[in-house]
Amino acid sequence: MRTGFSGFARFAAVRAGAGVVVAVMLVATDAAAPRFYPDDPIWTDDDRAFDASGVGTIEDSNGYDFVANTFSNPGERRDVRAPNVNTVDELPDSSWFTNRIGRRPMSVADVVRGPDQRDGVDMAGWVVSGGKSSGVQPGFRMTDSSGQTYQIEVDPSSNPEMASGAEMIGTALYHAIGYSVVEVYLTELDPKTLVIADTAMMRDPLNGKRRRVRPRDLELVFERAARQPNGRYRVLVSRFASGRPIGNFRYYGTRPDDPNDVVAHEHRRELRGARVFGAWLNHDDSRGVNSLDMLEAAGGRSWVKHYMFDFGSILGSGTVFAQRHRAGNEYIFEQRPGWLTLATLGFYIRPWMRIDYPDMPPSVGRIEAEVFDPQQWRPEYPNPAFDNMRSDDAFWAARIVSRFTDEMIRGVVAKAQYSDPKATEYLGDVMIKRRDKVVKAFINVVSPVVDAGLDADGTLRFANAAVDARAATPPAGYTLQWFAFDNATDTRRDVGDPVQVTSPEGRAPAELLTGSDFIGVRVSAAHPDHPGWSSPASFTFRRAATGWDLVGVER
Amino acid sequence: MARRNAVIRVLLVAFCLLSSGKWSGAQTNTPPTRADALHAERAAKAQALAPHHPNALESGLNFFEDRAVFILDREGFYPKLGSITVGSGFAYGLGFRDRDLLNNYGAVDMWVAGSTRGYFAAEGRVRFPELAHKRLLVEGWAGRRDYAGEYFYGLGTDSQRADQSDYGLRTTVFGGSAGVRPFSKLIVGGSLEYLHPSVGRGNDDSVPDVEDAFGEAEAPGVSQRADFLRTHGYVELDYRQPRYPRQGGFVRADVSHYEDRTTGSYTFNRYDFDVRQFVGFFAGRRVLGLRGFVSTTDEREGGVVPFYGMPTLGGNDTLRGFRMYRFRGPHALLLQAEYRWEIWSGLDGALFYDAGKTPLERSDLNFDGLERDYGFGFRFNTDNGIIFRADAGFGSRDGPHLYLVWGGVF
Repeated sequence: MRTGFSGFARFAAVRAGAGVVVAVMLVATDAAAPRFYPDDPIWTDDDRAFDASGVGTIEDSNGYDFVANTFSNPGERRDVRAPNVNTVDELPDSSWFTNRIGRRPMSVADVVRGPDQRDGVDMAGWVVSGGKSSGVQPGFRMTDSSGQTYQIEVDPSSNPEMASGAEMIGTALYHAIGYSVVEVYLTELDPKTLVIADTAMMRDPLNGKRRRVRPRDLELVFERAARQPNGRYRVLVSRFASGRPIGNFRYYGTRPDDPNDVVAHEHRRELRGARVFGAWLNHDDSRGVNSLDMLEAAGGRSWVKHYMFDFGSILGSGTVFAQRHRAGNEYIFEQRPGWLTLATLGFYIRPWMRIDYPDMPPSVGRIEAEVFDPQQWRPEYPNPAFDNMRSDDAFWAARIVSRFTDEMIRGVVAKAQYSDPKATEYLGDVMIKRRDKVVKAFINVVSPVVDAGLDADGTLRFANAAVDARAATPPAGYTLQWFAFDNATDTRRDVGDPVQVTSPEGRAPAELLTGSDFIGVRVSAAHPDHPGWSSPASFTFRRAATGWDLVGVER
Repeated sequence: MARRNAVIRVLLVAFCLLSSGKWSGAQTNTPPTRADALHAERAAKAQALAPHHPNALESGLNFFEDRAVFILDREGFYPKLGSITVGSGFAYGLGFRDRDLLNNYGAVDMWVAGSTRGYFAAEGRVRFPELAHKRLLVEGWAGRRDYAGEYFYGLGTDSQRADQSDYGLRTTVFGGSAGVRPFSKLIVGGSLEYLHPSVGRGNDDSVPDVEDAFGEAEAPGVSQRADFLRTHGYVELDYRQPRYPRQGGFVRADVSHYEDRTTGSYTFNRYDFDVRQFVGFFAGRRVLGLRGFVSTTDEREGGVVPFYGMPTLGGNDTLRGFRMYRFRGPHALLLQAEYRWEIWSGLDGALFYDAGKTPLERSDLNFDGLERDYGFGFRFNTDNGIIFRADAGFGSRDGPHLYLVWGGVF
């Protein structure tokens, strides 16, 4: 144990030293760097620029991930703006995230299709090519005639359709949000038709040694699986991502061997904001070991692409059992409730123990929306990025969640093909209610003023994301404080007195429009239910040939 | 030293970067665009790449999950660790197993082990637990058990702790069983077993041997050895949810006929009935477990029941406020109640109450004159059962007892 902690200390020291490097560089850069570069705001972060072919594999064990995150507080816990957002407080596309529903309209069909490149899979000619290497869901690997590999997984006999349904829903929604996910399909399979390739190998579950796949191995998979009335088995088919797997990413630190990975993961906006998505979908299993890094290559260069992986344990699914009552409500190890329970001989009852789940088909598992409190939601154990989530991160994520319409949600649930309509209806209802709660909880924590635009004549128009999402009533009015901004010295000078407006628009002072190349306005509002609105959102505009371009947003 | 070197290395990199042409003139070489600034940041890191070096904790836990688990639970030769029987102390030895016999339908397991209390056992067992689409269970075994220090206090509930004696019980056994599962929760089965027991001196020199302290009348079978052919039938209904139960129950009835093949004097029948019920509340994180166990014997053809074939009470899984095998008699009644509450996932607290007796007459199998204890404990568990528990028993006439046990209670 002592050795372990000295290892941790060394790791922390290296991290601290690296922090010094980055800090010194940032200071050196900041000393001369303008707040806004000519190409701001950027919408693509070229984090594939440097060849990363030398990266090694980081494959954490479940035990290490749990212990490290539960007892050692890895990563930096600091209230700092996510370094990877652009100057308008949005996330550029990168190897981690691709803006989809948050930045462009998506149809219901687009959302439902998710990452899938085809309508379904035809398993004719496929062969069993290996065992399943990770996860608790029983399964194996198959390869099609073109050599493409797929992972095949079955549902537990106690909860038919549950885990595969969760995978279908999670994959489609996380894809629409913007994460990289693998293609997944549902199909039926008759075990009698399976052909095992001569080269199919697996790790023997009894001794850990590699050996050939035997027919009995497949029988054991299907013995634990839910069998359909027609004698066949519903299976989830996951297409292997392209590239070479190099393990998982962590929700803290950076890969020391990846030149493109320069932002500490615990500060990445998309990983911090994943807490909001996790709360919505009860993705309590959102942790490093359920991520996937793939080394992709093209044009003589390699880079790491980061995937969210394994959605079998979201919503009401615990993958091989209905989700536990604790899931989403409390960490596996959380000191206070544990000690309280111990001291009171169990007379202290944790609130989640009192939740009464409705009687639903087994395919639903265990999920509800009535007691659900988005602010209190928790994954299985602490997540450094989630812990670092700030109000602006939460707002960014909540705004994305608000883009999912009822039709999209019901369309995605329908994609899970639950045989019992009651399951489909209930899950749709629950997800819609949880969406509304999540949006209301997180979109109002800061000023929800968005989409500010300044016309050439000085007319300002903006929107209220919370009102648009029906998560709040409109305020009585807004307060505007105009300012001039000097990009060379990074200083602001207020121009005029604060102005009260009753609608989401205003007019810039005339003298401001003819002076500085950068001008801005701070917009705040007073709402009795949302004190976070009183903290202003700041919008900075840069003079352009035809008017003013939005170049800066801060909340 | 390693930490200092690591910091020095990183600071050197920083110095080199800052003193390089590009960054020493940062104020004059400001990147012209955001893209250039980000590119420069990555260029700097590209100069300082390092492979990932797992720390000791990471290496250790990864090794445990990836390899060590297969060492403890490995196929082929494996370390036999744990316990030989209740009260044996920690046992260690060597085993060999093959759990994918006949295309994974069967398993063979052979082991030999000795324990810290001088116990020794060797056993070979072949099991086919899921034949005929999981409807049929077949098993065969052979073994030698040398239990070097079993305790005996006399028969009946009135036995005194001051009368403690010990004996060694050495048994050679072989047999086979078969069971059918009409449905998944019910097993009906039977077995045939040959036992060659031998009572000898115990290994605890602080107490007298049973043959010195008790005569044949107080300890039937102590002076004369016999071989037995045991014919056994059972019915078991197991509807616990999950195996470490939060709800459900377990019912088992056993009927055994021990036929004395040597003297004919010790032929007897034994009947055991075990009922357990678990009531979970507050999402199953609070569980009330109840158990009732009755065992009774009857001698046949004018013989007697040997003392080592009688039911016993006392110890970590029956009367926890008493020593191991503290009570023994031709009949036994045990009542247990346990309230378990989940402190954290994988750790339960427990309050328990045990009561029982080992009367000499079957007519005394009632609630009068029960020996009692109460206590508390902790259980490290998974859904599949208790891995380790600590139970402290109080309130008995034999004083407090602490049991640290690998495995469950009921």
